[in-house]
Amino acid sequence: MTMRMTRRNLLAGGAALLSYSMLASSALSQEGRLRVLWWGSQARADRTNKVNQLFQSENQGVSINGEFLGWSDYWPRLATQVAGRNAPDVIQMDYRYIVEYARRGALAPLDDYLGSTLNVEDFDKVQIEGGSVDGKLYGISLGANSAAMMVNAVAFEEAGVDLPTPNTTWDDMARIGAEITKAGKRKGFYGIADGSGVEPLFENWLRQRGKALFTADGKIAYDANDAAEWFAMWTAMREAEACVPPDIQALDQYTVETSPLSLGKAAASYAHSNQFVAYQGVNKDKLALNNFPLIGKDAKGGHYRKPSMFFSVSAQTQDPELGAKYVNFFVKDPKAAEILGVERGVPESAAVREQLAPTLDELGRAMLDYVSGLGALAGALPPPPPSGAGEAEFALRTVAEQVGFGQLDAKQGGETLVNEVSQILSRG
Amino acid sequence: MAAVQDSTVAVGAGANARPTAQGRLASIWTKHGAGYMFLLPWLVGFFGLTLGPAVASFYLSFTNFDLIRSSEWVGTANYVRIATADPKFAAAIKVTFLYVVLSVPFKLAFALLVAILLNRGIKGLTVYRAIFYLPSLLGGSVAIAVLWRQLFAGDGLINSLLAQFGIEGPSWISHPDYSLWTLVVLSVWQFGSPMIIFLAGLRQIPTDMYEAASLDGASKFRQFYKITLPLLTPVIFFNAVVQTIEAFKAFTPAFIISGGTGGPINSTLFYTLYLYQEAFGNFRMGYASALAWILVLIIGLFTAFSFLTSRYWVHYDD
Repeated sequence: MTMRMTRRNLLAGGAALLSYSMLASSALSQEGRLRVLWWGSQARADRTNKVNQLFQSENQGVSINGEFLGWSDYWPRLATQVAGRNAPDVIQMDYRYIVEYARRGALAPLDDYLGSTLNVEDFDKVQIEGGSVDGKLYGISLGANSAAMMVNAVAFEEAGVDLPTPNTTWDDMARIGAEITKAGKRKGFYGIADGSGVEPLFENWLRQRGKALFTADGKIAYDANDAAEWFAMWTAMREAEACVPPDIQALDQYTVETSPLSLGKAAASYAHSNQFVAYQGVNKDKLALNNFPLIGKDAKGGHYRKPSMFFSVSAQTQDPELGAKYVNFFVKDPKAAEILGVERGVPESAAVREQLAPTLDELGRAMLDYVSGLGALAGALPPPPPSGAGEAEFALRTVAEQVGFGQLDAKQGGETLVNEVSQILSRG
Repeated sequence: MAAVQDSTVAVGAGANARPTAQGRLASIWTKHGAGYMFLLPWLVGFFGLTLGPAVASFYLSFTNFDLIRSSEWVGTANYVRIATADPKFAAAIKVTFLYVVLSVPFKLAFALLVAILLNRGIKGLTVYRAIFYLPSLLGGSVAIAVLWRQLFAGDGLINSLLAQFGIEGPSWISHPDYSLWTLVVLSVWQFGSPMIIFLAGLRQIPTDMYEAASLDGASKFRQFYKITLPLLTPVIFFNAVVQTIEAFKAFTPAFIISGGTGGPINSTLFYTLYLYQEAFGNFRMGYASALAWILVLIIGLFTAFSFLTSRYWVHYDD
């Protein structure tokens, strides 16, 4: 018991000592206690903890113990806790993992609570289906986002280049990138990040060609020619110095802080719209959001509105109804919505969106406008990625590096990638 | 009954008579009980945290355990895949062997060089010893790996220094031709612990041998080659075995410097890092357990090989 208290106190900080020791005593009785686990930044944690306190104050006898980690530490921790029969009651879940967790019986289906405890009638139907696996609901979307290009507006202006627009094509982007590099206003600075190994960008490009990453039954949905053409496009940009060289790109650990944009190496990088706040947070220059470039003037359907993350309820929880109640509070309560803002993406509930719209700051507004203004650029939500998708993403990155550093040419890269991904997917 | 036992103990312990089994135990207890009590934390750790999990992982290596679902017995399928159908295993083996082969000799040579310099009776030896040992204490830490990342990144300190000489260096840690070398340099930098052992070994060599040699007109180099090296071979052997095992097990630097990817292009994919990716990235605990046992086997073979060949080059003074 002492150890648990210490850990909690450590998490909560000395100030909350009193309230948390009360929490621990109620934890003994197992009466209305919820453990909530999520990934994300400190800013997200502050907002989430505030909502947790609000939920406690409105529900006498319920105590919430929240914990958060960074993305890459999150999944090992969650898997270990689930394996140790020590899973948190409410779990933040990603579109990439929800199928695996649901099929392995780690999550509780929430269908029974729909309409009673869970009131998500005003959610977008597609987004609700995004949280469903094999016809059952396992995750409630905490917000919608879409892939997006983060653009350093100041660097564009310095180089005397117009900001990209929704109609900017890849040809434009290659030209603009080379112009920014050539302008040479900053030391070691290039037009755009090398996106050849960035899966959402590749997916967007494939979708504009009417292809996809994976089929609904978990097979590869593009061929070696597609991939070769993709790599060839980037090889050309690398040679024209429109994008950063491969050893600079390889510094990118696919986090906000290590992207070429945040490292001050490039004027544009690729991310997700709800990360706009985080990107602006670590960048001194003013940033802008733009959709990914088009393959041609009339191309469409590359983007999609995606549940940025879900709350799922653990199959191991003592009280799934309480979990569902908490999730409902999180996505529907006006006061909770006010605290959370659009940090986890654009809220799914129409009522919450309406309530939030006038209160948003500039960043929040840009994000909301971006996601709701995609129009024909957005197509249907792809099926959840198959197991092995994580490895496939890794394979794309590795092959892109092999092409980038000149170990393979674009054609060999295309063949290697398709071979590796097919093998990974067939192994499952 | 109790009284009888007590008396046996008393006799057993006192008069060295042949004790009963229980009596023997009790006598061990009275003699060594305190020692075992002191050992207890270690024993609990060894059985609970080392041996137990090791045995469990051996079992798991024959299953498809994925952390969440209950595991199924798959026989030797994991080992078969390692041996026949895993290109990343081959890549990881290549990187790890390269790392061992590069880092261990460089580190030992550097450690020996510094030890010889320190052995010349400089003032403030203890201070130098402590300073040189410091990197070994810090070396495995996350903070140092992060620091290394900063030093060898594109616009890091190393390239700023090179720029003074008009050289434009690449981003060392993120270029597949150089990234492993940055890890080798990091390892060599942690020469402290073999150096301390070398230093102790050097002090064991009787000085009259050197005196005799110099009277006979042997040069410094010849003295080193004919006296120092042969007499130091047991210490070199010990250091080599320990450092080789450590190099095989290295994880943190590669994990931090490559951001857990082993990249670019698997150039820093240490065996342990690949094992970690399989276990906690892809949730293939069974497969990762099999990988772990292969590593145990490799290290065991290497160590056995070292011991077998040692008789041909290690000179024990007896």
